[in-house]
Amino acid sequence: MILAATMAALPSARHLSWLFKALSVLFGADSEALAEDAVLELVERARAGDRAARQRLYRQHVQRVFRTVRGMLRSDAEAEDVTQDAMLTALTSLDRYSPRSGTRFVAWLTTIAVNTTRRRFRRRRPELTATGELPEIADPSDDPAEDIDLARRRAALLQALAELEPREREIVSLRYGSDLNATEIAAQVRMEPANVRKILERARASLGERIEALMKSRGAAA
Amino acid sequence: MNDTEIMSLWSALEPTSRRRARIETRVSEWLEASETSIAAEWLGLLKVEPLRALAYASLGAVVLLLLTPVGWIAGLLLT
Repeated sequence: MILAATMAALPSARHLSWLFKALSVLFGADSEALAEDAVLELVERARAGDRAARQRLYRQHVQRVFRTVRGMLRSDAEAEDVTQDAMLTALTSLDRYSPRSGTRFVAWLTTIAVNTTRRRFRRRRPELTATGELPEIADPSDDPAEDIDLARRRAALLQALAELEPREREIVSLRYGSDLNATEIAAQVRMEPANVRKILERARASLGERIEALMKSRGAAA
Repeated sequence: MNDTEIMSLWSALEPTSRRRARIETRVSEWLEASETSIAAEWLGLLKVEPLRALAYASLGAVVLLLLTPVGWIAGLLLT
């Protein structure tokens, strides 16, 4: 309310918000999620060789792909490699994507990312866990307490994920990293949607309990 | 923890801006390179460094001219 009043009182604040938005797009974040129709339009334009459309498509999805594969992999470095490979594969094979089959673009892209992750699992032994490295130091922000809190939440989530079964980890990563529904996840992991829902429910409960316990113990230690 | 809370917690896994910039640079460089033909790269080089590009082209032609007969002779001697 205060923000709205300030924006109304200061016409220049509106320009500032546009400036921040433009800067965030310029530096690689496209926070405003597009509707599926708009994504499909971008796909069509990118197929026709429109570089700006391809760039927008990339920025719309890159963070989502990273979040998803990070939940399945051991380190940020691996997630970075997989994200890069998956985005390249997707952007160079847009012709293979068919929305007529009822698949959302994000689900198609996630399939590519998951397959890239699985190839990495096959190549690398022993089995990967979601953690195994110290949490990366976040980029400096204005508020150091926010950085510490983010690092703590991140560490707790990764720790809790590492304790899940690989299949559960994959399913929760697809759910919360890519925001896929049970039917879309079921198609990717070749299971019945009902089973996916059951696994999700179980994994959510165990993740929630574990994260809360970890946050409490880390909070007490700090 | 409910679905929304876990979803919001998941945002802690997002890449840092530095990492995001690195991924974007690699992806866009690769895409750009895959779309540029060798001829276009040569033309680009010719535009930026005409002397060096001509020197490379001449060197390539000389190497081809010299090595082709040498290759034939070596082939004849070996068979």
